[in-house]
Amino acid sequence: MKSIIANLNKAFESRIRLGIMSILSVNETADFNTMKQLLEVTDGNLASHLKALEGLAYIQSAKQFIGRKPNTQYRMTETGKQCFQEHLNALEALLK
Amino acid sequence: MSNFFKMQKKRGKSVASNENTINFATQSTFITAMNKQLEDIKAIREMMEKSSKFLSLSGLSGILAGVTAIAGAAFAYFYLLRDPSLTDYNQTQELLILLADALIVLFLSVSFAIYFSWRKAKKNNQSLLNKVAMRTVYNLALPLVGGGLFCLLLLLQGDMYMAIAGTLVFYGIALINASKYTFEEVHYLGIIEIVLGVIAAVFQQYGLLFWTLGFGVCHILYGFIMYKKYDLKKR
Repeated sequence: MKSIIANLNKAFESRIRLGIMSILSVNETADFNTMKQLLEVTDGNLASHLKALEGLAYIQSAKQFIGRKPNTQYRMTETGKQCFQEHLNALEALLK
Repeated sequence: MSNFFKMQKKRGKSVASNENTINFATQSTFITAMNKQLEDIKAIREMMEKSSKFLSLSGLSGILAGVTAIAGAAFAYFYLLRDPSLTDYNQTQELLILLADALIVLFLSVSFAIYFSWRKAKKNNQSLLNKVAMRTVYNLALPLVGGGLFCLLLLLQGDMYMAIAGTLVFYGIALINASKYTFEEVHYLGIIEIVLGVIAAVFQQYGLLFWTLGFGVCHILYGFIMYKKYDLKKR
């Protein structure tokens, strides 16, 4: 039992981080505001989770300007894809 | 001796009950952990769907599009096609009236769709003009515009019945194409439209009837089902 639980990624314990990874796994890129709307969280909350995931190199960001407004696009890295997939596999194995 | 036995028995009992409580405790933490994982999976699935699909489409717009289509078809039938001797339009005028009729139906349906989607998006605290909505519209528009032009040419060449059947077929193809980015029910609506279109091309004299069935009755039924399934539940 313990070995299966060990495969769950601690980084994805928070529902918001799980949400971010889910969004980025089906969308090539997503910007900050879209994720904010989808996850229904505050700016600060989302930003801190994004920063944490970026720190783990699971996602990467690219800042650009649309007109004068800054727009930050996020995308999943290969590491992120792999770790998220492992997490999903672990969840699936747990429920079998 | 007997005392010793009693002691043993008691100890055994207490050990057993201790084990039971431990078992129970691990079991309940296991169950809560399990529930958390289940909830997690639900959240993941929901977020994947919500972020990749255009779900602001309202069932109401389907119902109203259906009603508009039936009204348009009724106008075309009773005013022009039932008995051409009642009016003294020449063929070009007749075609132009039919075309105007069709365009008005199209315009009203699209307006209803935009209005009700906007309303639903607002209610769900989402903006209507996001990337997913754009992708859906783009995939719907490609076959629809191409097919629409094709049918327009058929109509201008005087082949009204093939044009009627063509709109159904191309609309069905457009729906199937766009269904990847929205409710999966749209896929089945698309299949029905294509089937009706092909039948309309075979039984040409009933073309308008099948057109009314496809654009009118099917839309109303679809809208009703969708409204009941997705829109009412959320209130």
